[in-house]
Amino acid sequence: MNCVELQQSLAEGEDVSSWEQKAHLQACPACSALVKELNLIVAAASQLQAADEPSPRVWNSIELALRQEGLIRPQRVPVSSFSARWGRARWLVPAAAMLLLALGIYLRREAMPDQGVNQASVAVPVANASDLNDADLLQEVADNEPAMMTQYQENLRQVNQSIREAQGVVDESPNDVEARRSLMDAYHQKSMLFEMAMDRFLQ
Amino acid sequence: MTEPRQHKGTEPSEAELIERAKWGDAEAFQALYDKHKRRVYSLCLRMTANTAEAEDLAQEAFLQLYRKIATFRGESAFSTWLHRLSVNVVLMHLRKKSLPVISLEETTQGTEEDSPKKDFGADDVALAGSIDRMQLQRAVESLPPGYRTIFVLHDIEGYEHNEIAKIAGCSIGNSKSQLHKARMKLRDLLKMNRAEKAGKSRAG
Amino acid sequence: MVSKRTAKFLVIGVIVAGTLVAESKKEYHFTVGRRAGVSVMNPYGSISVKPSLNNTVVVNAVLHSDKVEVDKNQNGNRVDIQSHLLDGADADSGRVDYEVMVPADASITLHSSTGSLHAEKLHGDVNLEGAGATVDVRDVSDAHVHVKTMNGPVNLDNIQNGHVEVDSLSGEVTMREVNGPLVQVVSTSGKINYIGDFGNSGEYRLSSHSGDIEATIPEWTSADVSARSVRGEVHDDIPLQPKYHVWFPVDKGRAFAGTMGRVAVSSTVVLRTFSGKIHLRKRSEKQQ
Repeated sequence: MNCVELQQSLAEGEDVSSWEQKAHLQACPACSALVKELNLIVAAASQLQAADEPSPRVWNSIELALRQEGLIRPQRVPVSSFSARWGRARWLVPAAAMLLLALGIYLRREAMPDQGVNQASVAVPVANASDLNDADLLQEVADNEPAMMTQYQENLRQVNQSIREAQGVVDESPNDVEARRSLMDAYHQKSMLFEMAMDRFLQ
Repeated sequence: MTEPRQHKGTEPSEAELIERAKWGDAEAFQALYDKHKRRVYSLCLRMTANTAEAEDLAQEAFLQLYRKIATFRGESAFSTWLHRLSVNVVLMHLRKKSLPVISLEETTQGTEEDSPKKDFGADDVALAGSIDRMQLQRAVESLPPGYRTIFVLHDIEGYEHNEIAKIAGCSIGNSKSQLHKARMKLRDLLKMNRAEKAGKSRAG
Repeated sequence: MVSKRTAKFLVIGVIVAGTLVAESKKEYHFTVGRRAGVSVMNPYGSISVKPSLNNTVVVNAVLHSDKVEVDKNQNGNRVDIQSHLLDGADADSGRVDYEVMVPADASITLHSSTGSLHAEKLHGDVNLEGAGATVDVRDVSDAHVHVKTMNGPVNLDNIQNGHVEVDSLSGEVTMREVNGPLVQVVSTSGKINYIGDFGNSGEYRLSSHSGDIEATIPEWTSADVSARSVRGEVHDDIPLQPKYHVWFPVDKGRAFAGTMGRVAVSSTVVLRTFSGKIHLRKRSEKQQ
């Protein structure tokens, strides 16, 4: 076997196992060095398997796509990060929950005008939902954090105004999805104001 | 960054994670991703030599996997399934870019550049000892795409020639000859790199 | 005999000296592991968080009187710091200013009613709740950022690759180079400003009741954009490929919907307001 024939056998994927190959390698330093170097490369190649880490954006993009495609389904009711941190009973929870319950009942009722829902049976005073428990909140602020009274009053005024404005449009155009969404957001913001007060007063 | 939540007690097995993922459990998806991301991403990176493309392809591979996960019955190992899917995603991408997956050149028609005679009598620096991972990585990135694919699939990822022939749509003989050429090319690149470094240190 | 004027200055001097004497500095150190959790609850005073060079949490506190003390607690990998108001404390005497250094991968939670909140150069989750003072977060990557504010302005600068959620009642929210898989801002009357490129193929939802929404983006942005105002106006300075199959009526002047850039890699942008103005502006060469 000569050098060209050895090279040919390597190109055909043969291991260096035949006695002709071994004999040639013993006699030929150049071919011996070549085979050693190729073996080094093959041995080093395994270092590159799973050697690199993708950036976090890859998972973020995958997660987003999975949610958009509905492949991720809620396993439990999500809890806000702030609420999860301090799982204590809160006196203002009924107030915030009532706001959202009132909204839910109101929006559902508006969506089914022909189904003979007994409107009198809906006990929640939806018309006054924007004033619900405001007096309690302001009393707590006065007792616990009087320095912040002006801020709470002003923010309460703004969220109540946003609720009234959005509610007005929903009353006029019950099918206006954007207006209904604005109303939902307004209640969410009011609920957030109550929650921020809760977190402060319970520290 | 929100990391996969540590489960109290024993970690769930891959089979459990797969079952939970079938039900749309986000944590299970993420746990499976964390387990296999390096292998998939590294494969994509080695074959494309481009970080952004590799990330996009890794993302696509996992998404295809998750879309089909309901059909996984456990006949083969999950990692094998994912890996084969990843290879297919990358090869499709290379084909779309009109890049050669594996060259159809046969050994007997080797170019002057690949002629064995050139390797003898050269004043090359010997490749001795171990090969630095980063150097090898750079050399692989410098390979022509067809050579890179075959080297990655066979020597890095461990596919056999008959599997590569099926995946890439070439003959087993072609797969073998191209692998040899890829290794020879890598050898040249690594030697050049060492010669440059040796030259610099002598000059310094 | 001491004159009345001198006596007045003496009294003022004693009061000031008394205050200065009552102000004290404290420093605490905690050793933590990877991805520690650190919280600081401070009714009155500022909190600033920066990265430390090692696995130590360092808390420097300036207490403005002896009517407040610092309660500290470490439970494993979690450090909790709280300003404890004593009898008679008010917004001035109960004030504590914190400078905290944490390992960059720590998750932080900061609460203050009157003081500013600042966090920078971290890659652990950031949860901030302020009231009237500024909330400032910059150079945070690969982590979630959650901010709540009443009327304090919120500034987010260079936040990458995480979920960003901001809830503001009337505070103005300004975001520069904020990109991630999800960026969501909800405001009642606070203005929302976005300066960036809606990158990362993310989902961007900016909504307000009466606050204006202004997004300044380069022409090459890739995004699927929809904007709607129930009672306000919308303006669009950037040509969009119009979309017709949307779920809302595209009334000129009150809504627009379209795509820009490469659809294959685009983000989803939803701008909504009840009565505010929405303006999609083109970023000038100078701003880029």
